[in-house]
Amino acid sequence: MSVSGGVREFLLAFADDEHLMGQQHTEWIGVAPFLEEDLAFSSIGQDELGHAALLYEIVLGLDGVEPDDEAVDALAFRRASSDYRSCHLVEYTTHDWAEALVRHWIYDTFETMRWQLVAESSLPELRAVSKRALREERFHIMHADALLDKLLCSDEAGNRLMASLDSLRPLIGGVCEPTEGEAAAVSQGVSAASTASLLPSLQEAIAKRFNTPEHVSVAAGISEPVSGAVAKRLDTPERAEQAVEGVQCRRTVRSDDFGPLMTRMREVLDYDPQARW
Amino acid sequence: MGVYEVFIKRDGREEFRHVGALEAATDDLALVLAREGYVRRAEGDRLWVVRRDNLIVADDDFVTPNADKPHRHHDGAAVAARRKSAREKSHLTNREQHSRAGE
Repeated sequence: MSVSGGVREFLLAFADDEHLMGQQHTEWIGVAPFLEEDLAFSSIGQDELGHAALLYEIVLGLDGVEPDDEAVDALAFRRASSDYRSCHLVEYTTHDWAEALVRHWIYDTFETMRWQLVAESSLPELRAVSKRALREERFHIMHADALLDKLLCSDEAGNRLMASLDSLRPLIGGVCEPTEGEAAAVSQGVSAASTASLLPSLQEAIAKRFNTPEHVSVAAGISEPVSGAVAKRLDTPERAEQAVEGVQCRRTVRSDDFGPLMTRMREVLDYDPQARW
Repeated sequence: MGVYEVFIKRDGREEFRHVGALEAATDDLALVLAREGYVRRAEGDRLWVVRRDNLIVADDDFVTPNADKPHRHHDGAAVAARRKSAREKSHLTNREQHSRAGE
């Protein structure tokens, strides 16, 4: 079947989120609070990197490119920063383990919902990846929940986790922000609904998990001031309605943390760009 | 935090075997950490974690007095040794007879 650029961008946003989140999780190897957590968190990060690779392969397939390792690497690591479609939550450099754990829970909760959106996708290869990913996501959530169940009950840990939630709040709405052409992915049946439609469920889940009033979370999703440039991009009523407002400009603008993250990710590749892997 | 012993087995005839131990704050966490730490490469199909506190452990000297009772072993080693020695003895006797006959 022929697919539009909107579908490609939808998949790219999904893949980039998985890629960056996987990278950030794996960076905890050796420095997580205890040995078993080092392994567990990096292993979960590897799962996310696996999802990203499979999604990049689908994108390359749509581009008519043979999805070999070189092509996947080029797509994953060699684009201009403006061509990435990641959300700012996955680009964000966390300051401590508490923030990383809260982000892990929020992202995986969202990710599960997102994989469900494509479980019955019109793209057969996406359906297959969704099936596999959903099986793994169950354990990612179990991991985050098991830690939060214990830590939220303790005064010191609980306070630090709630402070982390507050610091991440401005980024939550952006997770559900769709790319410009996402409507095409929905109309072609690639996704069952818009990514933006997941925001209420995500906010509800966060309120339940952290026992916070829901209106706080919901308001936080639209608390960012809309800049002139963003307002212009959202000039039509349906766009404005669909948009989860933020400073991401439909995921075309990178946050300050993206550059250093990408430098870390490309470190080995840049060491010898001609090397074959 | 508690210490948990981890056991895994593959489906089929293999028995559960001990693969290591880990520290975890809750049973749920122990399961999740055991999953990522010990079966992420599909080393097994079944997983047990057991709180070390829940193991009923015998003292060392409860077990060691039985180390010097070969008669309780049924591997035939004692019988095999006895037969070997008898065989060698009779072989030797035969050779002695032959050499005497050749004189």
